[in-house]
Amino acid sequence: MDILSIIFIVAGLFFLIVAAIGVVRLPDVFSRSHAVSLTDSLGAFLMLIGMSLHEGLDKNTLKILVVLALLYILNPVIAHATIRAALRSGIKPWKKETP
Amino acid sequence: MALFVFWIFLSASFEWIHLVLGLTFSLAVAWINSGHSLFVPKFRLWLRILLYLPWLSYKIVESSVHLSKLILHPALPIAPQLISVDSKLRHHGAIVLLGNSITLTPGTITAEVDRNKLVVHAIDKVSSEDVASRQMEMKIADIFKDEEPDL
Repeated sequence: MDILSIIFIVAGLFFLIVAAIGVVRLPDVFSRSHAVSLTDSLGAFLMLIGMSLHEGLDKNTLKILVVLALLYILNPVIAHATIRAALRSGIKPWKKETP
Repeated sequence: MALFVFWIFLSASFEWIHLVLGLTFSLAVAWINSGHSLFVPKFRLWLRILLYLPWLSYKIVESSVHLSKLILHPALPIAPQLISVDSKLRHHGAIVLLGNSITLTPGTITAEVDRNKLVVHAIDKVSSEDVASRQMEMKIADIFKDEEPDL
């Protein structure tokens, strides 16, 4: 069980690190928010599943699962609000320059 | 009632002071919000949404791996673009579910929603084709096929 939870947490960490690299490398608000959504949807998921496996069947596991459900409902809303605000305030999406 | 169950989950303690506090507050919240709630439980609908979630998680994993490859690729081969989707869905709930699903899958974000028109920002060709193929929309239309249109 411990090994399984370690595998999950390490996989989650991998996606979190990739997302952080993405935030630095990508060119504008819109594409950066894609990297951030990688954090929420897979990084946090794998981390929390790993933690709940580590806890075993416990009240804390239940709380972790509640956090996960809320995360999955709230995160798209926040990402959408950010992007819509960016779009409405007139930021143009980055385009690859075609020579 | 649901609030009270939620309280018990969170406090995870059965001392009478916690139970009474929780009962008081959940009744108060329910009383304040009574008459505003549009939430009517429809079990068949929720069951179908529950059955839709595994497929969505599969898409999330697939596109996460794809996006990770893009980010770690030395040449950064991205081609961001805005695409508008004219959805055929006729329910508020279905549009919400579609927009949320699009935003949850890494690589695509719903940028603007106006009735049944969505503007989606996609990071490259693969993810924009994913949205344009309307696979997700078909699945959601299937979930809502027995409901009354309200849009």
